[in-house]
Amino acid sequence: MRRRADRAPRGTVPRVRAAAGRPRKRGVDLSVDLGPLRLKNPIVAASGTFGYGTDFLPYLDLRDLGGFVTKGLSLLPRRGNAPPRTCETPSGMLNAIGLANVGVEAFLSEKLPALRDCGTAIIANVFGETQEEYVAVARRLNGAPGLAALELNLSCPNTEKGGLAFGVSPPVVRQVVAAVRRAAPDLPLIVKLTPNITDVAVAGSAAREGGADVLSLVNTFLGMAIDLETRRPVLDNVVGGLSGPAIKPLALYMVHRVYREVGLPVLGMGGISCAEDALEFILAGSAAVQVGTLNFFDPTGSVRLVREIEAWCRSAGVRAVRDLTGTLRLPAGRPPAPCSG
Amino acid sequence: MPSDIAAPVIRHDVLGRDHFLLTLECPAIAREARAGQFVMLRAGRGFQPLLRRPMSICRVLPGRRGRIQVLYKIVGEGTRCLSQQPVGATVPTLGPLGNGFRLAPDGTRPILVAGGIGIAIFPFLVEALRAARRATPLLIYGARANRDLVALDFFRARDVPMRLATEDGSRGTKGFVTRILEPLLARKDRGPRMEIFACGPTPMLKAVRERALGAGVPCQLALESQMPCGIGVCLGCVVGCPPDERGPIFRRVCAEGPVFGAEEVVL
Repeated sequence: MRRRADRAPRGTVPRVRAAAGRPRKRGVDLSVDLGPLRLKNPIVAASGTFGYGTDFLPYLDLRDLGGFVTKGLSLLPRRGNAPPRTCETPSGMLNAIGLANVGVEAFLSEKLPALRDCGTAIIANVFGETQEEYVAVARRLNGAPGLAALELNLSCPNTEKGGLAFGVSPPVVRQVVAAVRRAAPDLPLIVKLTPNITDVAVAGSAAREGGADVLSLVNTFLGMAIDLETRRPVLDNVVGGLSGPAIKPLALYMVHRVYREVGLPVLGMGGISCAEDALEFILAGSAAVQVGTLNFFDPTGSVRLVREIEAWCRSAGVRAVRDLTGTLRLPAGRPPAPCSG
Repeated sequence: MPSDIAAPVIRHDVLGRDHFLLTLECPAIAREARAGQFVMLRAGRGFQPLLRRPMSICRVLPGRRGRIQVLYKIVGEGTRCLSQQPVGATVPTLGPLGNGFRLAPDGTRPILVAGGIGIAIFPFLVEALRAARRATPLLIYGARANRDLVALDFFRARDVPMRLATEDGSRGTKGFVTRILEPLLARKDRGPRMEIFACGPTPMLKAVRERALGAGVPCQLALESQMPCGIGVCLGCVVGCPPDERGPIFRRVCAEGPVFGAEEVVL
């Protein structure tokens, strides 16, 4: 049986709104559907930027979010890379955390019980160094009470393929997604695509063939920073993932392309930091969006986006945010293919 | 519990070359702050810089208005942007964050060791020690040159004895703070028990840590780190800790720190 993330009827205002004394205004329906997954609104906090959910309780009410994605979970706990792990870059940041996490068992026994009834969709991000590890983690999470969906992180280095990320090889993507699909048949399956590939739509199609329900994109772009004084890389890991507003146009184009080419619901992300950014991703084809780096510099930014999107829809006469998905007005007769000039 | 407040700038004073003292009104933060904790300040409005900057809470001012002070030095784009915030502007301020200093047990003499802008954490600690009626601390304070020694008036006004060091010898002992600390540690058995509180650049903390561990004197280190979020979620600010059989252990400076026991970290 597929789960619904939120059983509240469409168009109802979350309890917290009423409690906070904000007057209920007439009807913008913020709920969105991503295949089998329903979210109460289109804002989801991205993996690696939201801990396991509880870290944000001092700053926001989780019920105000469409959902959040946990830190990536592996079979065993991982301690991650040596510092320095992060570096600020123009309008962005590099990170090389090294997939540090508590491991799937500790997540199930310590983190998830604290989140039950938190009133938002909890999406578990899953990764492995081998296909077997992906399968083992997914199998362990399948049927876990309170979980709304799985998100597969395909940017992890594949130790059996010389450390090349799973997500860069379409046949590997198809195979891993199919194996996880079989291991976790009860949960909606979101596949998170890496942008570090020639054509992200090819990987997206492979994920669809493997049985993905939803595609989330993009993960971070590989990048580096150099300290001229020491002539060394800034990150101990040498290379890191670039996120933040700097990557927004790159990510937006990839969402546009995948939406047009693949035919699966899209959960878009990449540098979103205001309602307008989120709405651009929605016009390009996202059913919902994730916000990541924003959570670092503005811990209440995600819920502000929900309110701002609602206000924008009201002023634009949009009754349901889902009606906006993919409504980008393209020049007549222009194919959505990449241009070389 | 930490709060995120658009804090108005009440004063913004220049304290000599590149050093500034910023007074912000943020009652919820002032009420809960402890010596050694920090705030995350957003220096500008746009994306340059993008991330907030962690800053020690220098003081909580007396009075009901709930004002805190942040002492900082321009070291890059974030602090340069912060320095341009005029009185009346608002600075998004998140805090208080992290774990503060554990006050030295009664009868122990606190030795405060500051390097450069690391001095910013100590006014609050001095006031906390006074409030808890602990022994008057000794401040050992080193900087590049005389003009980089700031906030001396604060300590002088509170009768805190100071031993100064400058790298160029323009004031006090020529050299690093360890030149003052070492003889003190050598004589440790002749006076009251000591506890060291240190904040400054990593090479200084490393040297102080080694001397303190060598002398068997308790020592708390307030660490600095690249800190994208400050609230424990990004895992970017970690410091290496003594390894176990499975390898290195990393702890978050923002959440488990920024104050660590000298024996808890490997610098």
